[in-house]
Amino acid sequence: MVAAMTLPKQKVAMETVELSVSYNGKPALKRVSLAFPANAVTALIGPSGCGKSTLLRCLNRMNDRIPGVEITGKVMLNGEDIYARRVNLTRLRREVGMVFQKPNPFPMSIFENVALGPRLHYGLRGRALQEVVEDALRKAALWDEVKDELHKSGLALSGGQQQRLCIARMLAVQPRILLMDEPCSALDPISTQKIEELIVELGKQYTVIVVTHNLQQAARISHYTGFLMYGELVEWGETRQVFENPTRPETEDYIRGRFG
Amino acid sequence: MWRIRLFDSLVQAATWVAGGLLLLTIVAVFYYLFAESQYAFQRKFPFGFRIALQPPDSEYRNEVSMDPTASLLATHREGTDALDDAEDATRLPSHEELSQMQALVTATAQTDDPRQLRPDALFRDCMRAPKRAEQGERFLLLAFALPHYTGNRMVLAWEPDVSFDPAYCPYELRLRLVRAPEGVQVKPLEIDLRRQPKGSLELPVWKARTQEEWLQGYLFELEARPTTTTTLATIQQFLMPDWAPTILYARFGMLPLLLATLLITLLAIGLAMPLGIAAAVYLSEQASPRIREWFKPILEILASIPTVVLGYFGVMLIAPALQQMFGEALQLSSGRGLLATALMMAVFILPTVISLSEDALRAVPNSLREGAEALGLTLAERVRLVLLPTAKSGLIAAGLLAIARVMGETMIVWILSDGTPTMPDFSSPAAALGTLVKPTRGIPDTIAIEMGNVEFESPHYGHLFLLGLTLFVLTLGINLLGFAYRKRAQVVL
Repeated sequence: MVAAMTLPKQKVAMETVELSVSYNGKPALKRVSLAFPANAVTALIGPSGCGKSTLLRCLNRMNDRIPGVEITGKVMLNGEDIYARRVNLTRLRREVGMVFQKPNPFPMSIFENVALGPRLHYGLRGRALQEVVEDALRKAALWDEVKDELHKSGLALSGGQQQRLCIARMLAVQPRILLMDEPCSALDPISTQKIEELIVELGKQYTVIVVTHNLQQAARISHYTGFLMYGELVEWGETRQVFENPTRPETEDYIRGRFG
Repeated sequence: MWRIRLFDSLVQAATWVAGGLLLLTIVAVFYYLFAESQYAFQRKFPFGFRIALQPPDSEYRNEVSMDPTASLLATHREGTDALDDAEDATRLPSHEELSQMQALVTATAQTDDPRQLRPDALFRDCMRAPKRAEQGERFLLLAFALPHYTGNRMVLAWEPDVSFDPAYCPYELRLRLVRAPEGVQVKPLEIDLRRQPKGSLELPVWKARTQEEWLQGYLFELEARPTTTTTLATIQQFLMPDWAPTILYARFGMLPLLLATLLITLLAIGLAMPLGIAAAVYLSEQASPRIREWFKPILEILASIPTVVLGYFGVMLIAPALQQMFGEALQLSSGRGLLATALMMAVFILPTVISLSEDALRAVPNSLREGAEALGLTLAERVRLVLLPTAKSGLIAAGLLAIARVMGETMIVWILSDGTPTMPDFSSPAAALGTLVKPTRGIPDTIAIEMGNVEFESPHYGHLFLLGLTLFVLTLGINLLGFAYRKRAQVVL
């Protein structure tokens, strides 16, 4: 059991306190306490089924809809527990955006995909909406590729472009924290490289939390890394330290490729 | 190995045979409907006029055929047996021919001796059903007065048969004076009987003293010149607002039936679609798996209730309720009618709509739901902005299939519509309400009701097949549209 590990001097954007999750009585996360530094990229690594996706999905309460789920502990955001009663889910998700493993653009035009969120959340129309959409697409490094065909279906894009469209869609809602659940695992190497560059870029402005089972990717893009195994947080620290000088033998075994 | 290959090829062969049989069935149905509806086009359009010469002071001047003192000049060919045999009726008959046609010429004006009347020639015409007239048919009529007649003018009066409607007659009908008797000065005369189906005209009297002289009277010609071909006339009439296939001059205007069917469909779908989609949204998005597990079989059981049972349900429940609501205000004899039918149709189609819509919604990938949820959309927003647009093709396909089923549904309309063909009237709110609650009749139940006692290979018979063809083409078109949308739905997802 690892105690809550925070790094001094670094502002904390989000924090889990003794977070446990079980599905139909089967534990998936065991008392995980973890602080995510603001304006940095944090990677969650670990073998399949270790609970890293579960942890990520808890951060914007996407696990709520799974039947048989039981969640205890706290997830603190802005000094409030997001699992407290009377939490406004819409506001939470406006603040904590999420991108999924498989690109999931809505079957509508590129523009509509991005405009949907700001229109609903901020009531933007016309010129202001167009600016927000353009800004989001620029931040997602997609603008130059699609600016002339904004009215084409989002489904007509390539996989990598679709994933960046999903990122733009998330950014348009102006979140502070970005959750990414294996965002590159369904993509080809070139698209992966683009998304990785994008994550590094976004990490300067946003708090990015990435789940990945690609260790090199975690090493390339993240400032901090958490290693989970069997639902427990095994190790947590700056990425370089975790990869080069792990404190726990399990971490070392995993990183050296002895299992996983 | 060869066994597996044999099995494979057998399965493949079975698929081809089954597909071929299905295709053949569709083609056969189409061909059969088409072939049998030819009798609608072989139809001759009947017309009947009673034309009489009568004294001007005749009491029953306007009821030509009922006036025993009138001289019945002509109705149409059937009574004039001699002319029936004449091959070419358009030619003016010769003197010899006319003298053989005594049945045509009946003189009864103010005679003292009733035995001089030829009542069978006179009255037979009143009762006789009109013959189907043929294109370009012409009839000749002779007019004169008997010597006993004391007046110096007589009246030529004409009147169509009671149920004859010139609007339905595909002929130009003209009554023309061909020849005036010697020594009588009259202007040329030509009356358009379609514009002026009923009327009278004074003529100077001409008296015939001998049977020979009858033939020298006024000679009129009643000409029926077709305005269109029979095919076109049949189609034109098919689109008229009057369905009365069993009266003397049968009318086969299917417009009220078609409109009733469309209106019932519109109302039923308008009720069932929103309700069904809402239920489907609940089932696929909110209901727990337990509820869904229970609901799906219930839906299937509901969808398998025989429509006869549903019809009786409507008679026992919906019709009395409507009768109670509108019965006194609108003087309804029963609550059966368009609205009752449409309500029951909605109940009939609802399980299918829910089931198909739920399938369409469940075909939306979960990743889209998650994406929408992660974007902070509420359930209502997710449904409205993401789920329904994504499932749109599937939902439209469900709607189109539902429309096709409601359109072709027979039993419920038969039981609940009360079976009176009625032209929908939406000219005023009261009329619209009346249209909704009053009896009506659709296409499928008309076929069901009338096919049982229709004369084989008669125009009526042909028209029933034409109705069937219309319905088949409508439902087939809608089904094909539905399939096209379904295909699109599969492509998108």
